[in-house]
Amino acid sequence: MKRTASLVINITLFIQILLLFLLFFADRIELPAWLQVAGRLHPMVLHLPIGFLFFLFVLIVIRKTFRRKQFQKTLLVSLMLTALSTSVTALFGFFLSVQGDYDLDALYWHRLSGAILSFIAFFLLVWYQNVKKGEVVFYIFILAPITEVSAKKLSIETSTLYEIAVSPILEKKCFSCHNERKAKGKLIMTSIEKFKLGGENGVPWVAGNPDSSRMIHYIHLPLSDDNHMPPDGKPQLTVDEIFILESWIRSGADFDKRLAEYSETDTLRKWSTAKMNTLNVSSIEMVYSFSSVSQEVIENLNTPFRTVTPLYVNSSAVQVDYFLRDAYKPNSLLELKEIEDQLVNLSLSKMPVADDQLKIIERFKNLEKLNLNFTDITGATLADLMSLKNLKSLSLSGTSVTSEQIKPLLDLPSLHELFIWNTKVTEEEAVELAKDYPKVEIIYSLFTDSSMLRLTKPLLVNEGIIKSGGAIELKHSMPGVSTYYTLNGTLPDTVDGIVYKTPIPAKETVKLMAIACKEGWFCSSPFEITCFVNGIAPKDVELLLPADQQYPGLGASSLTDEKKGFIDIQKESSWLAFRDNNFEAGFSFGDNPPALNKIVISYGDNLGSYIFPPTDVEVWGGTDRSHLKLIKEVKVKQPTAYRPQRVDAIAVSIDPSNHAYYKIVAKPVSKLPAWHSGKGKNGWFFVDEVFFY
Amino acid sequence: MSKEFTNYRFHVTRRHFLGKVSLGLGSVALGSLLIPDLFSSSNEATQSLGLPQFAPKAKRIIYLFQNGAPSQLESFDYKPLLNKMTGEELPASIRMGQRLTGMTSGQEKFPLVGSHFKFNQYGKSGAWVSEMFPNIAKVVDDICIIKSMHTEAINHDPALTFMQTGAQQGNRPSMGAWLSYGLGSENKNLPAYCVLLSRGRGNGQGVYSKLWTNGFLDSVHQGVQFSSSEERVLYLRDPEGRDRTDRRNMLDQLAQLNALNYKEFGDPEIQARVQQYEMAYRMQTAVPELTDLTKEPDNIVKMYGADCLMPGTYAANCLLARKLSEAGVRFVQLYHQGWDQHGNMVGEMPLQAQDVDRSTAALIMDLKQRGLLDETLVIWGGEFGRTNYCQGDLSKENYGRDHHPRAYTIWMAGGGVKPGIVYGETDEFGYNIVKDPVHVNDFHATILHLMGLNHEQLTYKHLGRRYRLTDVAGKVVPGILV
Repeated sequence: MKRTASLVINITLFIQILLLFLLFFADRIELPAWLQVAGRLHPMVLHLPIGFLFFLFVLIVIRKTFRRKQFQKTLLVSLMLTALSTSVTALFGFFLSVQGDYDLDALYWHRLSGAILSFIAFFLLVWYQNVKKGEVVFYIFILAPITEVSAKKLSIETSTLYEIAVSPILEKKCFSCHNERKAKGKLIMTSIEKFKLGGENGVPWVAGNPDSSRMIHYIHLPLSDDNHMPPDGKPQLTVDEIFILESWIRSGADFDKRLAEYSETDTLRKWSTAKMNTLNVSSIEMVYSFSSVSQEVIENLNTPFRTVTPLYVNSSAVQVDYFLRDAYKPNSLLELKEIEDQLVNLSLSKMPVADDQLKIIERFKNLEKLNLNFTDITGATLADLMSLKNLKSLSLSGTSVTSEQIKPLLDLPSLHELFIWNTKVTEEEAVELAKDYPKVEIIYSLFTDSSMLRLTKPLLVNEGIIKSGGAIELKHSMPGVSTYYTLNGTLPDTVDGIVYKTPIPAKETVKLMAIACKEGWFCSSPFEITCFVNGIAPKDVELLLPADQQYPGLGASSLTDEKKGFIDIQKESSWLAFRDNNFEAGFSFGDNPPALNKIVISYGDNLGSYIFPPTDVEVWGGTDRSHLKLIKEVKVKQPTAYRPQRVDAIAVSIDPSNHAYYKIVAKPVSKLPAWHSGKGKNGWFFVDEVFFY
Repeated sequence: MSKEFTNYRFHVTRRHFLGKVSLGLGSVALGSLLIPDLFSSSNEATQSLGLPQFAPKAKRIIYLFQNGAPSQLESFDYKPLLNKMTGEELPASIRMGQRLTGMTSGQEKFPLVGSHFKFNQYGKSGAWVSEMFPNIAKVVDDICIIKSMHTEAINHDPALTFMQTGAQQGNRPSMGAWLSYGLGSENKNLPAYCVLLSRGRGNGQGVYSKLWTNGFLDSVHQGVQFSSSEERVLYLRDPEGRDRTDRRNMLDQLAQLNALNYKEFGDPEIQARVQQYEMAYRMQTAVPELTDLTKEPDNIVKMYGADCLMPGTYAANCLLARKLSEAGVRFVQLYHQGWDQHGNMVGEMPLQAQDVDRSTAALIMDLKQRGLLDETLVIWGGEFGRTNYCQGDLSKENYGRDHHPRAYTIWMAGGGVKPGIVYGETDEFGYNIVKDPVHVNDFHATILHLMGLNHEQLTYKHLGRRYRLTDVAGKVVPGILV
């Protein structure tokens, strides 16, 4: 029965709300076709509520003939039927009313009365249901969203600690039983005056002594105790909340003491301030006396180069930021007339603001923060800003203002910071100003390091393999730097090095070393790189022994594809790697072999990853793979310690020859040296390209 | 294949069908009765909110992320006891059975090790700073050192993801994306969220685009990664042989065509597209002006160090971050890799420190002398701390430290943060926090608070529930607020 009743109540409530809606928006509704059927049922359904209402009337008249329980049940059922049928009829009637051509005036009253009847039936049902329960919970539910929660603005300066920290706890956990209507134990907490009077047991606290306060005592009783507060089943106080209540009583249970009057180190104050800042958003609002402008005005002032926004949602104060120097128009500031009162924060940083425009800024009399950094002002008209009585912060960094020009501004009543870095004000003048105006924080320059610094290294522009006949191009990111270089593996300096002017022509792979120098700086440490230059390409390449399965590259073609490998990315198609067997590759130059005198092997040198130079390199020459003789054998110098990873070159000079076929053998390190963390293990040999000159 | 799709579409259970039909028809009925767009303007999920909820302390953020976790014990958390006890075993009473990474859990001994680098006190606050950071030491009165950060993750990727997105798994929007969503872009010619990467000389850990993802938020909130090359934003140049007028003409013609289309279909996406073209056009002017560092005066170059003119270095990124922030970019995120010193602390950490020390301090001073520090929040720190015991072999010359999520140090400056204070404390072993712990969620809540957003109210509904950067936790840390 209970469930049915609540179901019926919910359905009828829904229809009531729908009805209310329809009542207000009747003229804006278009009825879908399938609902028109429901509308035409109205005259038929109409008889149901008439019948139920009549039955209800009779029932009440003859109630004496029933037993009490029986009567209650019957009454509830008939009330339910009445409410349901009335609201359904009203709804259907509404559907009908939008379809036909009825007299509008008559229709209005018919509609209204139908709806009212339906509301009455519904409220009767609800009322009866609650009379039976003896509580008015449902009313509270119905009315709850309508009751306006009057949010009070809190601030550290004007609000009491009780308001900020204590009252919200009581409101959440105690008010539901200790209010004007309920007043359990005759204690009313909702008003401060009545709370101070206490309940039937007296005042529930002893100022300064939480331990003998009744309120605290009840809170600490075990939950099972009948006197425990809040009672079992109600939301309990948290540890933090208990702490607040206790601290408040300990500090004298003062209702009137403002938060600001508590010492700054007081935990209670700290806690309350934090709580206020995090929970009570409105507390941090700044109060301005001027009115706000409409959203529309603000929107219209926004352009891609000028952002106009309120400081935050619902704030009447406005901030304006300008962007992109090229897009700035001199009359742009004039357009802000509509918000001249509301403008508190203006940034014109880097805009070409001329001296005469300060006259416009003068009108923004509520301006608190003004940023004129790197604008074109000369300072001649700075006096125009003297009317900005609310100005707190002024940035003039990067302009050509002088000490004389800014001096009067320091008398501005609200000014507390001034930024004059990178202006015509000298350091002595700034110190002087700071001394004369201790109230204003003058930021002049913070960077005082006069020590010499080292320049960065020059950079190589054309990375990768340089085309044969190409040139090595260097650059440096700092203007005014001279670059000195060598190509013979010796350290360059400003005397022996060649001054870099134009790109360095390169015929074959060279080792480049370069330094950058500039007056006032230490020369850079040397930049070292092996520049690989394209040589004579063989007609065909083959691998005579396979590369390791982990690093197969693209097979033999990787050796002449003119793609360099990156030293820190090993699994990549440029690299071929060998560990268990030698590197052995054959290069054939066809029927008209060119004359060669140098072979360069580009290899990876990354000792930490066990990637070492080979121990030996052999060059064989002949007519084809099976007719070869050893032309040259070199031992490669092995590293004696860890060194920075890099891609390096092994150059093997040979007597000028023109064989049709060359075989190159390189032997990986078989045992890593003792100083290496992998001593005794096999080393790797990584090769990406082979060049012939 | 199409048969499977059809079958799939028909695959509806009776319960599902009835549920859908009853709810569906009901809502159709109500919906068709009402004015179609009566409620549509309150669609919170598809619109960014655009304004702070209350007066913000900071307008912009520059987050200098030290990726790999720099050791707090060699930088800001001075523990002389460790120097006295070097070589002795970490007491069980301090470790309290806490979990370790797989890298050291197998170690038989956990010998404590003190800092190889000397510490000194600086500034009015008397904060301890290691000798590796002489320039940051000079601005110590402008920064707020938090020694009591702690996190839940013990490995780089989850910890980094946690710091950046508020969750250890990488599918949530990052902090910058949340701010872009909540506050929008200040300068409409630039993205609200920019990402700059650099690589140091120490043992590095990767960074991935999931760290600056928009997650389930609209993709306009994604971080824009700047390239480390000379051309910092790719595809922004006009093609060779075409100048600005050509581009303008092209866009104007295109806009006319789009306007015709819009008239016919009324699709708002068309308008959005036109606006994006326009923004790209404006970026063509705005970005080169910003990213050109060669016009910076000599004293600025000297301040940030010579590296600042080499694209892709940390110093260059600091300088660029200042320029972007100055131009109204809401959130500039830097990542500097190479702070993972499991071994070779003595060799690598000075190199890392050298890379960041001068330019970081320069950034603080530079913002300050332009009057921007009070509205810009600068954050410096990694994803967790490092252990007080040595990982691997402890020798006289060198040592390493493993990951330590229980306590680590970060610092913040400007934007509503109390300058010149040290917040929180660790025990004298530098292992556990003894005062004012700050969880990663609290850190996020505080940052949003400084930007004028209530972390509990900045939500986005996704997959049936509302998400926050702090998800279900987080408390603002009042002790560090001005």
